[in-house]
Amino acid sequence: MTTDLVIGMAGSGGDGIVSAGESLIAAVATEGYHAMMTKSFGSQIRGGESSCRVRLSTEPVLNPGGTLDVAIALNWEDFLKFGGELPVGGNTIVIYESKTGVAPDKLPLPGVTPAEVFPVPIADMAKESAKTDKAKNTVILGLIAGWFGIGGDGVMKGLRKKLAKKGPELLEANERALAAGRKYAQDHPLKTPRVMERPKTVSPKLLTDGNDMCGAAAIFSGCQFFGGYPITPSTEIMQFLSREIWKYGGSVLQAEDEIAGIGAAVGASFAGKKAMTATSGPGMSLKTEMLGLATIAELPLVLVNVQRGGPSTGLPTKTEQADLYQAAFSAHGDVLRPVLAPTCVADTFEITVEAFNMAEMYQTPVVILSDQEISQRKETCDPIDTSKFRLVDRLRPANSELGTHYARYRFTESGISPISEPGMPGGNYLAAGIEHNEKGAPISGGIMHAKMNEKRFRKLNPIRTRRDLFQTYGDPNAPLALIAWGSVAGVAREALRVAERKGVKVKLLVPRLLYPIAEEFFNDFLSGVQAGLVVEQSHQGQLYHIMKMVLDLPKGLKSYARSGANPFQPAEIVRRLREQAQAMHQSGDSMPQEE
Amino acid sequence: MTLAMPAPVPTLQAKDFRSDLKPIWCPGCGDFGVVQAVYRALAAVGRPPHEIAFISGIGCSSRIPGYTTAYGFNSVHGRALPIAQGIKIAHPELLVLVAGGDGDGFSIGGGHVAHAVRRNIDLTYIVMDNQIYGLTKGQLSPTSPRGLKTVTSMYGSLEEPLNPLMYVLSYGAPFVAQGTPADLPGLTAMLEEAIRYPGFSFVNIQSPCVTYGEESGQIKAQKEKMKALADMKHDPTDRIKALSLAQDYGRELYTGVFFRDPNPPPTYDALVKARQAELSANALPRQNILDLFLQK
Repeated sequence: MTTDLVIGMAGSGGDGIVSAGESLIAAVATEGYHAMMTKSFGSQIRGGESSCRVRLSTEPVLNPGGTLDVAIALNWEDFLKFGGELPVGGNTIVIYESKTGVAPDKLPLPGVTPAEVFPVPIADMAKESAKTDKAKNTVILGLIAGWFGIGGDGVMKGLRKKLAKKGPELLEANERALAAGRKYAQDHPLKTPRVMERPKTVSPKLLTDGNDMCGAAAIFSGCQFFGGYPITPSTEIMQFLSREIWKYGGSVLQAEDEIAGIGAAVGASFAGKKAMTATSGPGMSLKTEMLGLATIAELPLVLVNVQRGGPSTGLPTKTEQADLYQAAFSAHGDVLRPVLAPTCVADTFEITVEAFNMAEMYQTPVVILSDQEISQRKETCDPIDTSKFRLVDRLRPANSELGTHYARYRFTESGISPISEPGMPGGNYLAAGIEHNEKGAPISGGIMHAKMNEKRFRKLNPIRTRRDLFQTYGDPNAPLALIAWGSVAGVAREALRVAERKGVKVKLLVPRLLYPIAEEFFNDFLSGVQAGLVVEQSHQGQLYHIMKMVLDLPKGLKSYARSGANPFQPAEIVRRLREQAQAMHQSGDSMPQEE
Repeated sequence: MTLAMPAPVPTLQAKDFRSDLKPIWCPGCGDFGVVQAVYRALAAVGRPPHEIAFISGIGCSSRIPGYTTAYGFNSVHGRALPIAQGIKIAHPELLVLVAGGDGDGFSIGGGHVAHAVRRNIDLTYIVMDNQIYGLTKGQLSPTSPRGLKTVTSMYGSLEEPLNPLMYVLSYGAPFVAQGTPADLPGLTAMLEEAIRYPGFSFVNIQSPCVTYGEESGQIKAQKEKMKALADMKHDPTDRIKALSLAQDYGRELYTGVFFRDPNPPPTYDALVKARQAELSANALPRQNILDLFLQK
C-alpha cells in the first residue's frame, strides 16, 4: 500500500493524455484524495506533444512531486521531449505502448533501470474493446484503476456526466475500454503492489486551477470590469470572467491590444468600479506606462502577471519566476507598487481578494505575480469559508467634503485622499498623468512634486506591517533557512518535511508580499540564521537580489536559482542546503547542528 | 450609481462649463475657439458637469478637459480612447467626451481608433487636427502634408498625410463631421449634434497652430476656403458620397456632417447592459461563487 503516487503521461496531441489526467483527478477528488495535476505542452497549436502529471495523496499535496512513480508513454519521442518534467528513476513503474517496438530492456532512458516495465498493446486494446483507438486514454485509466486501485468507478461516473448528451454507445465503448485496461492489470500484477491507501475521511473538495480561482476571487471581491488581451498562460482568467462576470453586473472587454486592455480597466476604475487586467511578461511590458498613470492618478487597479519564461516570447508555456524585477521596478519616475504572489491554487483566492482590498484601500495599482504552474495546474482544495474575508471599498468623500472646495488629492495624515467619481455632484476633478496639486490642477514646480511623491509613498507604509502576508514553517530557532515564493514555495515546504525527517533543523519563510520588502519580518526571520537559500526559478535569483538591496543579509544566505522549466526537487534543495551549511563550517564560521 | 436620465437643465450656460484654470495655449490658438464651442454645446445639451467625463491623451489640445468643469482625465499619449471606453462601459449613464490632437489620435494612438469605431460605444471623439506637433515645438504629424519642412523634416516630409475622415468612415463610424473654429456657430451646432448622436461620433476640427502651423491653415485663410457641406447639398445619409468628399481632405476644407447613419446601430454599452440583465438571473450568490468548483 502507498499513500502518495505521482503519475506522469505523455503522448501526441490527439491522444487525449490531458483529458485522461482531467478525468483521473476529478475521480480521485470525489474519492477523497488530495491531488494536483500539471499539464505541459509543446508550443504547437494542435498535435505536437502533450503531457500531464497527476499526484495524489492521502495528505495535502504541496507540489507536483519529483521523480515519477508511474510513467506512461504512448510514444517515446513525445515522452522524452519533456525531459526533467517527467523524470524516471529506479523506483518508477514504466508503462508504454508496445507498438513502439522498443524492447523492455532497451528503453531510451540512459542510466536508468526502472522498478518494473510493462509494454502494453494500448492501441490494440482500445480498438478491440471500443472499436476506435481514440479510447487509448480510457484504456490507460483502466490500467491505473487496476494496478493502483484509484479512479475506476469515479472515472465512469465522470464520463457518464461528460458524455450524457452523446448517446449510450460512446459511453458503453468507454466502459469496455476501461474494463479492458483493468483486466490487463489484473492479469499482469505488479511485483511490488502499490495500491493506494484509501483516505481516512472523504470530504467535499474544490477542484480548479489558479486562473479560474483568480477569476472567481475577482468576482467575489466585487470586480466589475476586466479589460485584457489573450496571452498564454493568463488567458483563462479572461475566459472565466467572460463567462461569469456579466451575471454580477460586470463586463469583459477583449481589447485590441494589451495597452487598451489596461487602459479600459484604468477608465473603469476612474468611473468608480473595481477593475482588473491580466497578462503575462510581454503584455506586462506593454502595460507599464499605464501602470505609472494609475500610480500618479491614484486609481485602484489589479494587474495579474502570470509569469512564463522570458525575455521576449521566451518559453510561453513554461513556468518561471523572472518577472519580479519587472513587477516591482518597471516604471519611470519614483513608483512604489505592491507586488503579491500566491503560492498555490487555494492561495490564489486569498491573494486576489487581498490585491483588490489593497488596491482599493490605498488607491494604487497592485500586481499579482502568479506563475504558469500555479495558474494552469489543477488542485483539490478544501472548501474556502468566504465569510471570513472583509472586502474593502475605496474611501469616498463625505457630503461635507464635496463642492467647490473638494480637493481630490488632499494631503491627509495617512496619505489617502477621499476619491470621488463621475456622477458624484461636487466631486468634479481632473485626474492626470501630469503632476498636480491637491485639487488636481497641473503643476510643474519641484516643491509640490516632492510633496506628492512623499504622499504617494507614505500611504503605502502600512503594507509593510502585514505579518499575515508572510508564512513561516519549521523550527523558529533553526540556524538553517529557506526562503521561497510562488509555486516554488510548495517544493520548499516539502523540502522542509524531508529535512525534518533527516533530523536537519530548518525553517522556511514564504513571503506573499514580495515588494515593498517588509524589512522587519525579514530581519526577524533571519536573526540567528547562519546558512540558508533563497530558492527561485529564475537565472538571476531576483528576490535574493532585491533582499540584498534592502537588507543586511547573513553571510551564509545564498541564492539558489535556475531558469524556468527546470523544476526543483525537494531532495536537491535539502542537499544543497546542507552543502551550504558545510561550506560555512569549513570557512571557519560556526557550524549549524544537524542530524 | 444610477443617474437620473438626461433631464435637460435649461438653466445651464456656457460659463458653467468653464473651469478657472488658465489655458497654456498660445494666443490665437484654434483650440480657444474649440473649447468655447464645447462649452456652448454642453450647455445646449444640458447635462450637468458632474455627469460628464472628458478624457484626453497628451498634446496641446489634450489639455482641454482641465479647462472644463466636467470630470476630466488628462491621461497618457494616445490612450484616451481605451480609457474612455472603459469609463462608458463601467458607467453607461455618463456623457463621455474624448479629445486630442492628430498625433495623439492617429499616430501613437492610431491603433485604437478603428476599434472604438467598430465597437460603436456611445461617445464623442473630437480631434483638433493642426497637422503639426505643437507641444514638442513643431515636428511632423501624421496629417502633415507631403513636402512639409519641419525641425524633423529639414528637407521636406517624404510621406503622404493620413486622412482622418476616410479612416473613420471606412471603419463604419455612424457619425462623422468636420468643423473649424473659423465658423464657431457651425462648430457648436455640430458638436451638439455629435454629442446627442446615440453611438460613436467623430468630429475632426481644423484647429490651426498659430505658432508652428502653415499660413494656409490659419483662421483667416480658412474663412476664405471653407465650404459648408449643407450648401453643397450633400446628403449626409450617403456613406459612399461622404467617402468621396472625404478624399479631398488636405485640398478642400468642407465643414459640416459628412455622414450620419439615419438608423443608429446598437451601441456596445447598450448591448452590455442587455447581456448583464439577461444573465444576472443565473448567478450564484457572490459569496458562493466557489461552488462552481465543488466536486460532487
